[in-house]
Amino acid sequence: MRPLRLAWEALDQRLGVTELLEFARSKEVPQHRNSWAYYFGGLTLFFFAVQVATGILLLLYYRPTAEAAFESVQFIMTRVPFGWLVRSIHSWSANLMILSAFLHMFSVFFLGAYAKPRELTWWTGCALLGVSMGFGFSGYLLPWNEVSFFATQVGTDMVDKVPLIGDWLLRFLRGGEDVTGATLTRFFGFHVAALPMITAGLILLHLAFIQRQGIHVPEKYEREGKLRRPLRFVPDFVLREGVVWLFGLAVLAALAAFFPWELGSKADPFAPAPAGIKPEWYFLFMFETLKLLPAHIFGIEGEVVGLAAFSIGGLVWFLVPVLDRDSAEGKQGRLFLALGWALFTYIASFTILSFLGVFA
Amino acid sequence: MTRLAVVAIALALPASLAAGPPPGSVGSPGEAARDTCVECHQALDEPRLHDPAAVAEEDIHHRQGVTCAGCHGGDATADDPDEAMDPRRGFVGKIAVGSIPSICGACHADAAFMLRYGPNIPTDQLAQYRTSRHGQALATGATDVATCASCHGAHGIRQAGDARSPVYPTRIVDTCGACHADAAHMRPYGIAGDEVAKYKTSVHYAALVERNDLSAPTCNDCHGSHGATPPGIESVANVCGTCHATQQDLFDSSPHKEAFVLMEQPACETCHSNHAIVPPSDDWLDIGADGVCAQCHSADDPGGKAAGAIHATLTTTTALLGAAAERVRELDEAGMLMEAAEVQLEEAHQAVVLARNAVHTVSLAAVTERTGEVGKAANAALEQAREAEAELRYRRRGLAISLVLILLAMTALVLKLRQMNAG
Repeated sequence: MRPLRLAWEALDQRLGVTELLEFARSKEVPQHRNSWAYYFGGLTLFFFAVQVATGILLLLYYRPTAEAAFESVQFIMTRVPFGWLVRSIHSWSANLMILSAFLHMFSVFFLGAYAKPRELTWWTGCALLGVSMGFGFSGYLLPWNEVSFFATQVGTDMVDKVPLIGDWLLRFLRGGEDVTGATLTRFFGFHVAALPMITAGLILLHLAFIQRQGIHVPEKYEREGKLRRPLRFVPDFVLREGVVWLFGLAVLAALAAFFPWELGSKADPFAPAPAGIKPEWYFLFMFETLKLLPAHIFGIEGEVVGLAAFSIGGLVWFLVPVLDRDSAEGKQGRLFLALGWALFTYIASFTILSFLGVFA
Repeated sequence: MTRLAVVAIALALPASLAAGPPPGSVGSPGEAARDTCVECHQALDEPRLHDPAAVAEEDIHHRQGVTCAGCHGGDATADDPDEAMDPRRGFVGKIAVGSIPSICGACHADAAFMLRYGPNIPTDQLAQYRTSRHGQALATGATDVATCASCHGAHGIRQAGDARSPVYPTRIVDTCGACHADAAHMRPYGIAGDEVAKYKTSVHYAALVERNDLSAPTCNDCHGSHGATPPGIESVANVCGTCHATQQDLFDSSPHKEAFVLMEQPACETCHSNHAIVPPSDDWLDIGADGVCAQCHSADDPGGKAAGAIHATLTTTTALLGAAAERVRELDEAGMLMEAAEVQLEEAHQAVVLARNAVHTVSLAAVTERTGEVGKAANAALEQAREAEAELRYRRRGLAISLVLILLAMTALVLKLRQMNAG
């Protein structure tokens, strides 16, 4: 064991590792009846790490052109050893990451953690969710199959409704008038270069803010938090988070083995759109709402009204720390608590009802 | 007597003599007719007089500059009704049934005139009509037979390619059925009147009307349009062979070809029927179960034995293919990529089609050659299914082992936490 001790001492002399360890040991995580909510952020980070690892493996074989993309994914799934597992885990983990991010966001909201002084943490978190959805949207097209091709066509069509810059934005996203190989190359660039870089920066900021401000304790649990002994971050919380991560890994492995992600048939831009085209589940609530709207509302195209409402809704959600006046005092206003529950119920119910085929 | 005279004169007129419409009744092609008849008749209340004018704008003739006077005579430029409908200006009013073919033929049989509307418009309809059962019956003085207007309509006539036209492929069966589905109407002509109902049970009707496959045949594809007549025994195979060329070639190479001629049996119809053509079944070859072969063969004669052997090889290989397809489907649902096996299944399905086609040769060797291909492709698919099943078992075993390992790691962590809490 002597060589290990010597190596440790050498590192410690140069980097002050003992100090860092002492800092980690002194860090504490408060305990109260809802402290289970503190694990979702870490779980989201775990799924992101899985995405990075499996994404790098997929990059070894994936080819981002309209001619070769589908065939390369097919090759990964049929010929590359464990390729089926890597691709399935990448697809499932993407979905679980977004699910976990949504749960993290709502739990943070209901505990009122967005209130002053944690506005910046809320905003970087919202940006991370937006980027995650961007990952999902861009990654969906990459296998270049029939469903993803037409879903991307429908999805990017909506961009055209943006006032003034809609047309430019549509061309920017598609690399031309239509969804073509140029769109695929672009989406690939967003998916593996631009978005990961932005995500890495946002995650660092998000974690730095949490580290600097400490973990939030809701006002109503402050008393309880003082009565209960807080957890040491290392090793108590880290080990508990480890159990949660292992659970996430088990779910991921089971899903990938029992429900391998489908490949479908290769996209044919000249074929008619198949019936029942739907986006990924996390866009379903918006998709179904837009479908329910009448063609025109007060003389304006229904879809435009719907998209404007979603944009305003998203902005309100983002600006909650500013709009909620109680937030300035570190509290959560009742109106905003009700708003959170209404939004949660709306998203959850529309998503579930869409899966049940109620809107078909 | 007068009616018969009109019919006789109209039919006796050679097309060359009746060439072209009445002078002044036709405007420029592509320009709608300026027609005082339409203007006045649209204002009339009596449906008999109002309705033809109401549909004038939909009429191909009106839209191409042909006025009412083109068929009815008179002067379609005159504002005064007496002048417009003056018999001295050729006005005939309601057109006698017997005159309709020659009135339509005055333009439609005139190649020089029809050239104004397009370079390739057929002009042989009147000549064909005169050879048809309808035309022949009309020539004998019958007035309850189909003329041009019976199928194309009298007013508001649309082009045959217009889906609203009564002669559009999907609508022809009901147009013919207006008379041919009426048993009482058909009885004097020795026609059963159930042909339309039978056709509506056929694969052809299903393809044409239910699946909108315009390549599928309707009445006129077998009987002819203007020269409509039933195909005789010697020509049935040629009619069916227009589309089913491969089957016709195979049949022509078979001993059945000569045998059917000797027995005066129509080629295709003997086994497949005529109007009620239902999907063929391999069981038709089952000589012991009253299949179509049993109409002429007994189980012991050479033909009957060949039918039995062909039936056996077809049912065995299609059962093998069905089992392979089912296993591939199950594995596909279990999440395995079965594309290679699906290619094999597709090849097997194509070989089944060829094997069933080869039945027309009534040669066991020809059918067996094809069923051999079916068996080979189906077995290849089954082999791929077996490999996929092994892979699936391997994956599930791997998952079980990793889940156990993950569970062990979780248990170790939980135990460690308890130990720490206890300390």
